Amino acid sequence: MKQYFRTVLGCATLMLLLADCKQVYDPRIGAKNIRLLVVEGFLNSGQGATVVRLSRTGDLKDTTIHLELGAQVNVEGDDNSNFPLVDNANGEYSIPQLNLNNNVKYRLHIKTIDGKEYVSDYSSVKYTPAIDSITSQRENGGAQFYVNAHDPQIAAKYYQWKYEETWEFHSAYYSSLLYTRDSRTNSVTDVVYRDAFHNVDTTIYKCWKTLNSSSIILGSTEKLTSDVVYLPVQYIEPHSEKLGILYSLNLRQYAISHEAYLFLQKIKKNTEQLGSIFDAQPSELSGNIHCLTDPNEIVIGFAEVSQEQTKRIFVYNSQFPDWNYDPGCVRIEIDNNLDSIAKYGADLLPATPSRLSSLGGIIAFYASTPPCVDCTLKGTNQKPDFWP
Amino acid sequence: MRYSNLLLGVLFLFFCSSSKGQERKDSLVSGDFKGLTIEQFILQLEAQTPFHFYYDQKQFDSLQITLSVKGQPLQKVLELAFVNTNFHYSIDQHDNVFLIKDKMIRTDLPAGFFGSSRNINDSAITNTNTADIGLTSDSSTISASLENKLYEIGTKSQIRTGNSTVAGYVRDDKTHEPLPGVSIYLEENPGIGTVTDQFGFFSLTLPRGLHTLNIQSRGKRDVRRHILVYANGKIDIYLHDQIISLREVIISSRKTSNVRSVQLGVEKLNISTIKTIPTIFGEADISRALLVLPGVKSVGEASTGFNVRGGATDQNLILFNGTTVYNPSHFFGFFSAFNPEVIKDVELYKSSIPAKYGGRLSSVLDITSKEGNKKNYAGSAGIGPVTSRLNVEGPIFKDSSSSFVLGARATYADWLLKLLPKQYERSKASFYDVVLHTTHEMNKKNSLYLTAYLSNDHFNLNNDTAYEYSNRNFCVQWKHTFNNKLNNLVSGGYDFYKYDINSEANKINAYDLQFNINQASVKSDFNYYINAKHTVQFGLNSIFYKLNPGSYRPLGSESLVKTDIIPSEQALESALYCGDRYNLTPDFSIDYALRYSFFQYLGPQTVSTYAPGLPKEESSRIGNKEYGRGSVIKTYSGPEYRFAFRYSLTSDFSIKAGFNSLRQYIHMLSNTTAIAPTDIWKLSDPNIKPQEGNQISFGMYKNFKSNTIETSVEVYYKRMEHYLDYKSGAILVLNHNIETDVINTKGKAYGVELLIKKTAGKLNGWLSYTYSRTLLKMDDPLAGEVINHGQYYPSNYDKPHDVSFVGNLKLSHRFSISTNIAYSTGRPITLPVGRYTYAGSQRVLYSDRNAYRIPDNFRVDFSMNIEGNHKVQQKTHNSWTIGAYNLTGRKNPYSVYFISENGLIKGYKLSIFGSIIPFVNFNIRF
Repeated sequence: MKQYFRTVLGCATLMLLLADCKQVYDPRIGAKNIRLLVVEGFLNSGQGATVVRLSRTGDLKDTTIHLELGAQVNVEGDDNSNFPLVDNANGEYSIPQLNLNNNVKYRLHIKTIDGKEYVSDYSSVKYTPAIDSITSQRENGGAQFYVNAHDPQIAAKYYQWKYEETWEFHSAYYSSLLYTRDSRTNSVTDVVYRDAFHNVDTTIYKCWKTLNSSSIILGSTEKLTSDVVYLPVQYIEPHSEKLGILYSLNLRQYAISHEAYLFLQKIKKNTEQLGSIFDAQPSELSGNIHCLTDPNEIVIGFAEVSQEQTKRIFVYNSQFPDWNYDPGCVRIEIDNNLDSIAKYGADLLPATPSRLSSLGGIIAFYASTPPCVDCTLKGTNQKPDFWP
Repeated sequence: MRYSNLLLGVLFLFFCSSSKGQERKDSLVSGDFKGLTIEQFILQLEAQTPFHFYYDQKQFDSLQITLSVKGQPLQKVLELAFVNTNFHYSIDQHDNVFLIKDKMIRTDLPAGFFGSSRNINDSAITNTNTADIGLTSDSSTISASLENKLYEIGTKSQIRTGNSTVAGYVRDDKTHEPLPGVSIYLEENPGIGTVTDQFGFFSLTLPRGLHTLNIQSRGKRDVRRHILVYANGKIDIYLHDQIISLREVIISSRKTSNVRSVQLGVEKLNISTIKTIPTIFGEADISRALLVLPGVKSVGEASTGFNVRGGATDQNLILFNGTTVYNPSHFFGFFSAFNPEVIKDVELYKSSIPAKYGGRLSSVLDITSKEGNKKNYAGSAGIGPVTSRLNVEGPIFKDSSSSFVLGARATYADWLLKLLPKQYERSKASFYDVVLHTTHEMNKKNSLYLTAYLSNDHFNLNNDTAYEYSNRNFCVQWKHTFNNKLNNLVSGGYDFYKYDINSEANKINAYDLQFNINQASVKSDFNYYINAKHTVQFGLNSIFYKLNPGSYRPLGSESLVKTDIIPSEQALESALYCGDRYNLTPDFSIDYALRYSFFQYLGPQTVSTYAPGLPKEESSRIGNKEYGRGSVIKTYSGPEYRFAFRYSLTSDFSIKAGFNSLRQYIHMLSNTTAIAPTDIWKLSDPNIKPQEGNQISFGMYKNFKSNTIETSVEVYYKRMEHYLDYKSGAILVLNHNIETDVINTKGKAYGVELLIKKTAGKLNGWLSYTYSRTLLKMDDPLAGEVINHGQYYPSNYDKPHDVSFVGNLKLSHRFSISTNIAYSTGRPITLPVGRYTYAGSQRVLYSDRNAYRIPDNFRVDFSMNIEGNHKVQQKTHNSWTIGAYNLTGRKNPYSVYFISENGLIKGYKLSIFGSIIPFVNFNIRF
């Protein structure tokens, strides 16, 4: 409940004059060299791969990811069954398909390169109800997506969602022109057509971008009379590029245990729900993974068996009238001489000619900032295979 | 002039009755007199009573009498008939009544008129100036003659050696409001003296004979009363306002009370001081004023609640005219819930807590409302940027025996929210509070007081979740004076606090969450002034609690929310106490008391039992035990000791020491650093022990420059047991087994507080410095989780260095400036020491709890008070307050936090008031 008392309360609400009361802060904490093992992943009892990611914690100012390489990772059943995971040499350990027995409990067993052994608690195979639908509605100008699901067995109760969102976007300006540059100084030497027919380059006009969810999305039906899920999973800010043309959300749903729910909620509280007046105190983390070699060693992570259910939806811009996405691009006209180009256009990309001489020479042309002309700078021009 | 006449009348009445003894039954008068001339009136009176009247008809030809009385004594009837006139009456021993204009007739001569010193041991009587008291005294000198008049206390007789007790009320001459804190002492022996209580009552035991009483109160003219004490008796004293303050030289014992009182760690602020302290938006605010006192802290600028000497926010007993207020704030803690227009003063007990109070570990904040004007209707109103206030007061009956004061305050803060970015445009916030206080003096021995308080907050922050919380309090107090030495205050009250959170946005999950506390209490407190050496206080009190710890219900027909109600909790907390203030010598006094409290947790209830020797967790729960209605489930009890002594080395230098122990049976559970509107309260039960605390303190007090500069040093050391902290990730709302989520902790706090205070003169104010530490420890492995490896760790409000300065400079009678400068160490905070990647984003790894601190706080506030003209006779008086909060615009940190944003960790510092906030307030009195 406390997350509702957001920063807005303290800061914005009463700040008449709204000097910004949130400032970037550097606590100047020195290197601590704490290298705790971090285990992320789940044992997929449904169709699909099981991927476990191992890494180490780093210092606060240390932005590199400390991958844990060379470990031996196995899924063990309490019936002594064993499924070794393959080291992908990128911190990920995977197996394309686990065939788990519903009557057996499984755990993760890790042996790191330094010889320490870690195990998770045993967990039984869990069933995840299917996603019924994903609906969207306009809220506060933006688009709010809700997941709808129900569990006739009333067994799931705790859910986690992850998503992958993809959207199509276009460059603000067509481009038929190209700078040629001096290979040594990189200075512009000329403006030329991209092809002999003076066509615009469509390969840099239409692009797609994909992002994975970066926040922990949790839900519970424990306070409801029936296991019916109707919860917000994703919000798109008003006028966002995401809904400029076509947007797709691929939602993955997992039924999780109460313990996993509490663990994820702690991480969420510690790292996502801060900055209000009524912040909860950061709390210590303890998952279900323990170090056998040194029982006092703290391990961050939670591994249990779950099933993945997915659903993909597409949303067209027309479903949100007056969305008014504005890429915020401007183009300027530059005379086609090297001085003008060097002065005004060196950091821009040329779009199309604006004035031509009677002989077809380019007297002046339009130019704009690179992402406004070349969409591949922000996304990929490879159309995803699921795209309509 | 008319006031002095009335004063005379009242005093004269007193004089008559005291010299003539009790009222006679045959002198009672009833009737409905309308527009009677004096002749008609006297005829009626002579018909009903055995009295004979003598008067000069010519003097009374302009008088018309309109009066309705029933069974009133003649004296009272005459007093009512002549109220606000310059007619007087006198009654002699032979039932003759003399009526006269402008003058008074004395029907007997003052004792000592003939210099009969042989009757009286005290030879000073012969020096008494009685010459002014005469049959022909002129009206223009009546007021002055009162100072010189000799009042006889007790039935006139030969004076025996020994002590007698004189008691009575000190009141304002104009409004008849009682004046508390007025010092009364013998001019010839300042060691014999007392201070009036909250009802203006005093009781003074002194040797029989002739004395001069000095009566002094801040803002009132100093007066003297010559008294001749024959036996126990009563005297009421009326004080005039000191309207023009010339160069005053007042040496009052109120001003030396910091040196002379036995108590340690008591801070008293009256409303005029509170109003000079600049606050945010210029609203005079009790909680902000408290925070500038040494030893009082809060976690941040916008937090509800305060921490006294290392105690938690729930360890303060907040009393408003005797009622317990659970949430003393509005608008998330930005404003105090008490309307400054109806507050008279606040008193904070940090160390020596009187034995009549208990139930909280750290402090008692006693807020007293003012009493209404007993003679005229009056009021005040104020307009500020966020709230407006209205206050009216006046008599209820015409005989000035009763009065009321009604204060109301409401906000129009919605416009603030309108300034927010568009996405918050649907936010709403509002609050109001209403106070009603009435007093009724039934007779000389019985008074009745009634207080009703209501506060309400409602807000909605555009997230479709509506919050509401409310305090409702009601209290009746009856003061009965058995005799001069013994009086009793009986009170009964009902206190209520609730909150309600509901959300309708998501129809499937629409819910309504409610929480409330009900408490009914009765108290009986006795004061027994045995003699000049002993003052005994004793009494008992009892509180019945009924908590509804949470109900969660569906809202709307589509909601699938499952109704979840945590069963109500009941308990009875009772205490008996007895204490004595023993003045061994004028220089050495001790105050010792014992309070014995007991707490019974009552059925009906289902209590979980846990396996012994294991942490209380879901997994160790072995069963439930059912208890029926009214059955006593668990009893906790224990003694609480209160002890203090004072030794005066000189008249302006004393040392004091004290020891206190307290117990607390109701706990607030919160896992946020500041009080949030969703925090719940929990009673002690078989699984949750009461909190216990004790404090030892020592102080030195020295005054300079005729007591206008007070200095003090106080040192304390405090221990707390069974303070409730929570486990990591605890869920406190709607938790059926809350004992599995909380842990008992130990705490210790120590510190030294230095204070220099200038109480008089053009420049007044104080400078205080506090060094204090508050440390907690959680090392019980049975609690399931040890924090910071079982070592002591600083609490959230552990701010070792704290300096505050409050200054008020009176440039003229109409213009003054005030400033408030505050510095404190930043509060402890838990900071991340590492990062890792999880669930698609960078996450942080936290250090030990409260291992780091946020940057220090420094703030300067400034305000100007501009008063309208000071003519006494005008319809309205008005004043302006103009100022600025956080004058330097420093972005004082409230918290530092790290958050994942788009997959990356970012550190932020959050300030609540990160710029200068100017304000204007307009006040009007009528």
